[in-house]
Amino acid sequence: MSNKLLWRATKAVFVREMRSELRSRQALNAVALFAVCSIVAVSLGLGPLNRSAELPLIHAALLWIVLLFAAFTALSRVFVVEEEQRTAAALRLAAPPHAVYLGKLLFNLVLLSALTVLIALLAIVLLRMQVKAPSIFAVMLAAGALGLVSGTTLIAAIIARSSSRSALFAVLSFPLLIPMLVTAVRGTALALAGMGWDRCLAPVQTLLAYAVALFITSLFLFATVWED
Amino acid sequence: MAERLAFTAKISLGLAMSGIIYAMFLVVPQYVGLGEAGRIIIVHVPTAWVTSAAFALSAVFSIVYLRTRSALHDASAVAAAEIGTLFCIFATVTGSIFAEVVWGTFWNWDPRETSILVLLLVYAAYFALRSSVDDIARKRRLAAVYNIFACVTMPFLLFVAPRVADSTLHPNCAFLQGSKCEGISLDLNGAKIGQLGDVVVELKSVETTGELTQARVEVRMPGLTQNAELTPSLDASGKPADRPEFPGQSFRMVLIEANPQAGTVRVNMQAPGTGLLSNQRTLWVFLASNLTFGFLALWLYRIRATILHVSALVETQEAH
Repeated sequence: MSNKLLWRATKAVFVREMRSELRSRQALNAVALFAVCSIVAVSLGLGPLNRSAELPLIHAALLWIVLLFAAFTALSRVFVVEEEQRTAAALRLAAPPHAVYLGKLLFNLVLLSALTVLIALLAIVLLRMQVKAPSIFAVMLAAGALGLVSGTTLIAAIIARSSSRSALFAVLSFPLLIPMLVTAVRGTALALAGMGWDRCLAPVQTLLAYAVALFITSLFLFATVWED
Repeated sequence: MAERLAFTAKISLGLAMSGIIYAMFLVVPQYVGLGEAGRIIIVHVPTAWVTSAAFALSAVFSIVYLRTRSALHDASAVAAAEIGTLFCIFATVTGSIFAEVVWGTFWNWDPRETSILVLLLVYAAYFALRSSVDDIARKRRLAAVYNIFACVTMPFLLFVAPRVADSTLHPNCAFLQGSKCEGISLDLNGAKIGQLGDVVVELKSVETTGELTQARVEVRMPGLTQNAELTPSLDASGKPADRPEFPGQSFRMVLIEANPQAGTVRVNMQAPGTGLLSNQRTLWVFLASNLTFGFLALWLYRIRATILHVSALVETQEAH
């Protein structure tokens, strides 16, 4: 298939996802509330923290734990819904596998980006997280979100076809996300502490390399998962 | 003929394994600084090697399965993953016991501990996935995809590993942050202050008394209110004699070379256990142990794969 056709099909899948989400706002409502609840729970549990050398690391770790679990609740929906509403077969006929994967990946990326912005803002307000290098912090979150999405979208497709869906998603994704998670936490802590690019470039590079590697592997493997 | 060969192989494997266990306790000498606990490397390191090899094999079989779609290849991937998990548990437990005895902690989030834990989690997830898909062909396909996907993330652990813990206790200079394998040279008449990792070292004196050449080195490190003074030494043959421990850490300072006339020394930091294999007897037992554990894993794999092959064929026939 030519690139142009693939791109058009991808766009169609993405627009379809966006439209059905905007109509029902199911994912957005559930996940946004989940994010608010977990940040509030963390802030209440900790109370105001004293400034110390380790505070950026603590904040970064909490931020990414909340993001991780929000992602676990949000990102599997794109494929699980197809199986629940029995629309997978129709989608299989309507669009080539690569377009389905890319469309859903883009949708997940948009969803997670919105979620990341929300959680980061909540953390700044409620947790009193101080961001000393805002631009690097934003880049780090974006690179981390890319890694999170490229690592979990294929898993979402896998678990949609199994019997115990929601539990399995976290179980399958978590070990694969550990390298990315650890890098993101360390990198975000550096950004919160106000370190420059000389220290922060390496984590961003690792995150991007992780995202690209998993994205390409997913492209190779997705057709196998999607076939009936 | 083949049967007799298999029988002979089985008997010799048993004998070799007994030999390794005998040698581990009675042939391998005690290692200075590690005591009896050092013997565990004879089991620990080979099981860790077998683990990585088995998981790599499992991923290869998964790739082959996706190409051929033959149930036998999937069964081989499962057998390899099972053997890998078994040995992974061995390696984790032996390593943890060793860590408690020598480093005073069962778990340290050391890079290698982290990676082996991730491996265990990945394969636990692999088996969980297999048990939750009902359709046989789909189960095999999804499991193979997950196996390959997981394999792609493994190299990132190597990048990430050094960032996880500030220091590793594993005896491997490449993993010691800031420490170069060749150590650092200090000169009484020149650069007498240097840095090893985040430790600042300053040479105070170097002199020979009797058989020992001893250096006095002042150590300043974060978290230490008072400066400490360590006195590593070399014996007459130029081998490290005394390796004092850095205060509050399990690392040791070792004197690699010293020239009392010129007033120069070269010092390095070492994790306990470094240089364990420089002993000839230990080295040979270690190599034999690697070989034996490799064959043991191969034998277990053969048995398990045969059983799984049969059940895969039965499953496929029932599905038809």
